[in-house]
Amino acid sequence: MLQFDQVSKSYPGGFVALERINFRIAKGEMVFLTGHSGAGKSTILKLISMIERPSTGRVMINNIDLSRLKRSQVPYVRRDVGIIFQNHRLLMNHTVFDNVALPLVIEGFTGKEMVKRVHAALDKVNLLDKQRCLPETLSGGEQQRVGIARAVVNKPPLLLADEPTGNLDPELSRDIMQVFEAFNQVGVSVLVATHDLGLIARMRYRTLTLKHGRMINDGLMPLQEPI
Amino acid sequence: MSILFSGRASGARANKIGAVRRFLMFFVHHFRQAIASLGELWRTPMASFLTILVLGLSLTLPATLHLLVKNAQQIGGGFAKAAEINLFIRDNTTEQQIKSLVTILSADSQVASVTHISKAQAMAEFQEASGFGAALNYLTDNPLPDVLVVLPTNTDPAAARALMQQLSNERIVEFAKLDLEWLTRLEAVVRLLQQAVIAIGLLLISAVLFIVSNTIRLSIISKREEIEVMKLVGATDAFIQRPFLYTGFWYGILGGVLAFLVSEGLLWWLRGAISDITSLYQSDFQIQPMNLIEFSAVIILAVLLGVVGSYLAVRKHIRAIEPSGP
Repeated sequence: MLQFDQVSKSYPGGFVALERINFRIAKGEMVFLTGHSGAGKSTILKLISMIERPSTGRVMINNIDLSRLKRSQVPYVRRDVGIIFQNHRLLMNHTVFDNVALPLVIEGFTGKEMVKRVHAALDKVNLLDKQRCLPETLSGGEQQRVGIARAVVNKPPLLLADEPTGNLDPELSRDIMQVFEAFNQVGVSVLVATHDLGLIARMRYRTLTLKHGRMINDGLMPLQEPI
Repeated sequence: MSILFSGRASGARANKIGAVRRFLMFFVHHFRQAIASLGELWRTPMASFLTILVLGLSLTLPATLHLLVKNAQQIGGGFAKAAEINLFIRDNTTEQQIKSLVTILSADSQVASVTHISKAQAMAEFQEASGFGAALNYLTDNPLPDVLVVLPTNTDPAAARALMQQLSNERIVEFAKLDLEWLTRLEAVVRLLQQAVIAIGLLLISAVLFIVSNTIRLSIISKREEIEVMKLVGATDAFIQRPFLYTGFWYGILGGVLAFLVSEGLLWWLRGAISDITSLYQSDFQIQPMNLIEFSAVIILAVLLGVVGSYLAVRKHIRAIEPSGP
């Protein structure tokens, strides 16, 4: 599903964000990505979401080499990646329904099919009754769930989540992780970038640990191991 | 089971829609985005109003000048008889020779009509018109020549002048006369006005393109965050551009209608003054308003300006916006 093959990324000025990163996430696998600030988590997410291109190496999604992708093809590959942002990135002057429907509208869905899918996504995150609200009237946790609904509504085979529980209380965090698990159980690959070691320890999934742009661990993280 | 999970029995996969449905939805989305763009104009009333006003008034000036030129040309056309050529016949010419020339000229495709005014007819008219009726009876000989009045098929001054040159070479013609100086001057003024319309039009079109482009650029900048999100969830540049292009389209439609209304209003306002002038010359000249073709041309030009102005902005600025990252 997702493969990093000897991927390095350096920025003008000489800062090396990633150095020879190798990993592979299989179809239907759920993986955590962790590390301290500046370790390279965000760079990995940017490479997968095609905001950045690797300096060397290959990033592959479904055997498509993203580093060789033409600019015009990028939007079509992005549709196969559901992204959940830490700061939600919702359209504040559009309703919850419109926000969630956006990926479907872009893909060409209309009418009943679109409404059915949006309702299903909102139902999954328990926000069906808020579909006519503007995002600014929702709490941080609710906004995060709108972001999740938007990410899953067009059934992408890969979900990326950047600190999805960062601003939430433990109970809400658990609910949200259960949503990810539900999607993972039906074959969606999920990559969750988080600082929350407690969450990682509780959920016991494969974890990629980064430090100064290098991969220092790939596997189940020992309980409460300091990074 | 939620429909978000259905169809995933063989594992997760991207769910695409079929080509035929995509084709149909393309038009549905265009229609929806066109209507949504109209709503966007309503949501930003002041910026939209000012842009439409600038576009409309910028097109009003060349449109009104065009109407004035068109009417001036009509005035020129109305005096087509001024292009009459008078052929003064030599004194010793026989009636037979004159008839032969009339026959030849009548068969000439460059000649619309030929009228022979004989010496006697000319004297009778002169006696009646001059007021010297009795005095002229004392003349022993009629000093007036036979005249052939030739109306050219093409009353354009240059063509009429060429025909006059040709006819003046006829053996029995003493000399030919064509009084077209004033018509030539009118034509020169009309030509000058036409060139002014083109020059002013080009300048205003450039200004309109810049203003529409700048308005759309500001709109794009104000929606930068929205555009970034749309790109991150898979929107193509073309998809993002479309509402802005439709906004330009609506600017054009409304600006074009405004230009039509204002130029017709100006013409209506001038109608009284023009009527006063033409009545002094015993003319029943009626000012001609914009016809359907001219109205369509104004609207099409305005829409083109709106869409091209928008395109100049979206092509550069939407492409330049890239998501800053998760």
